[in-house]
Amino acid sequence: MNDQIIFEDVSKFYGEVLGVNRISLSIPPGITTLVGPNGSGKTTLMNLMTGLVQPSSGHISVLGLSPVSSPELFRILGYCAQFDSFPRGITGWEFIFDSLMLHGMSAAQAFEMAVESLERVQLGDAARRKIAGYSKGMRQKIRLAQAIAHHPRVLVLDEPLNGLDPMARAESIALFQELGRQGMHLLISSHILDEVDRISDRVVLITGGYLVAEGSIQQVRQEVREKPMQVLIRCDQPGLLAAKMFSVNHCVEARLQADGKGVFLRTGDIDQFYSMLNGIAAEGLVKIESVAPADDDASAIYQYLIGSDGGTS
Amino acid sequence: MSVYEHNYRAYAGRVTPVWTRIFVLARYGFAEAWSSKITVGLFTLCLLPPVVFLVGIYLANNPIARALIGGRGPQALAIDASFFLTVLEVQSWFAVALASWIAPRLITFDLADNALPILLSHPISRLGYVLGKFIALFASLAVVTVAPCLLLFVYQSYSSPLPWVAANLHIAAGLLAGTSIWIAFLSILGLALSSWVKWRVAATGAIFAAVFVPAGVGGIVTGVLRTKWGFLLNVPFMMSALWRRLLGAPESARSSFSLPTEAIAAMLVLACFLCAAMLNARIRAREVVRG
Repeated sequence: MNDQIIFEDVSKFYGEVLGVNRISLSIPPGITTLVGPNGSGKTTLMNLMTGLVQPSSGHISVLGLSPVSSPELFRILGYCAQFDSFPRGITGWEFIFDSLMLHGMSAAQAFEMAVESLERVQLGDAARRKIAGYSKGMRQKIRLAQAIAHHPRVLVLDEPLNGLDPMARAESIALFQELGRQGMHLLISSHILDEVDRISDRVVLITGGYLVAEGSIQQVRQEVREKPMQVLIRCDQPGLLAAKMFSVNHCVEARLQADGKGVFLRTGDIDQFYSMLNGIAAEGLVKIESVAPADDDASAIYQYLIGSDGGTS
Repeated sequence: MSVYEHNYRAYAGRVTPVWTRIFVLARYGFAEAWSSKITVGLFTLCLLPPVVFLVGIYLANNPIARALIGGRGPQALAIDASFFLTVLEVQSWFAVALASWIAPRLITFDLADNALPILLSHPISRLGYVLGKFIALFASLAVVTVAPCLLLFVYQSYSSPLPWVAANLHIAAGLLAGTSIWIAFLSILGLALSSWVKWRVAATGAIFAAVFVPAGVGGIVTGVLRTKWGFLLNVPFMMSALWRRLLGAPESARSSFSLPTEAIAAMLVLACFLCAAMLNARIRAREVVRG
């Protein structure tokens, strides 16, 4: 079976309103994060992938399955919806157990898997309480438990970190990273750009229904050529280093740090820049302590490509 | 780039047939419907008429009891197709009240709570979802229609001599068919209207209105155009005629119009298709946020 999630020229219109337009993507295993402002089409993209809405045009394939055949697809896919909504009046246990029964597990199997998933999100103690009485973080966790309970191959998580306290956030991220490392497909939408940096193997930037960029954060950053990359170098002779660097025309800005032990450089060609820096270090002219890219993170590419700082939650 | 270990093992065990999963939703629906004290109250109310009918059957079949209360003779209370038609009509109209209370609880809550994306992101189809809810509502209505009607028939069969049963078995078949057709129609109508009205109280009103308002319109059509076909909008009239024929009861002397059974059946089927179209349009997992 194909191990990619593929969007081929996919568009979705809600009447005259654009959902997403001509999206072509190929998503390998690992953690892929969808990043974009509110209303950019992230949820539409996820709903298209899960078959909850059908595309106006184009073709989608999830590990070789078409989302049109949703019952087949949902055997291998877990979906954690964005909205804080549940069937009324049920307990956490009933939510997970009945979900597993709907996935076609036998009662004994469903019992075993429900216990496992509740323990995985550390909600075992609260499982018998009604979801209506849960805190926002617990509701987020129970949704996550429901999405992973049936051992899917693809996990689609819409804003899964919203409402979680820092500890729960760290635990969830650790769980995502573990699942991603094991070779599961995780597609996560998030506004929290710091965490996008930490967890993502790939990012997909989308705004106004249009795909803006995709790839690893570093790859995307390198493609944004009109924005010179920023590198902070800590060294013993920042002035000399800046002078050397300015001998080539791809270096466009240098700022010495106030403590005199570092220089902040902007370059239009990061490959040449590093090559030259290697040469300088090898010659021993400057003793370099550290080299740190300053703007090859999700926040920077979001700012450059979408035009604002994103959001916090 | 991450290093993928590819050691994640998705579930590859046996799964139950799709049709059995519909009953998980039916169980959900049933629990939701009966979690309300008003449902229990309505249910109790619906069972009061069968108790009265039960007493009637007892009196009709027991000469001593009849003598004790001053009954006039064995023919004072005839247990025949007309008697069971009355039972069927009374229980069927009580079922409207129960359906108008339960149906919105089954669908409008899911719509109002935006629970459809969660429920439909399982290996069940929209049809499966509707079927689950349909079964929950049908079963709830059957408890106050099919069950008491047939139990009264069984009691009459037990109380009367054997030839009565042999001569009136068609009544049992008529009761089963008449109640089943009515509660199936009522269930799909209730679910369809509930799917369009998010406010539960309004949905309850809409179900009542859908049964009785077209009857008024039909009356106007009949009066103005001087045609019997206006009665095709009159659900109580149509069902009464259908039940009468199913039970083999004599035609009402008060009614000057008679509709062909085929026309009634066609109208019910048409209404069901309309309800199915309404459900198809509304039961969708919409989770679209545009900020």
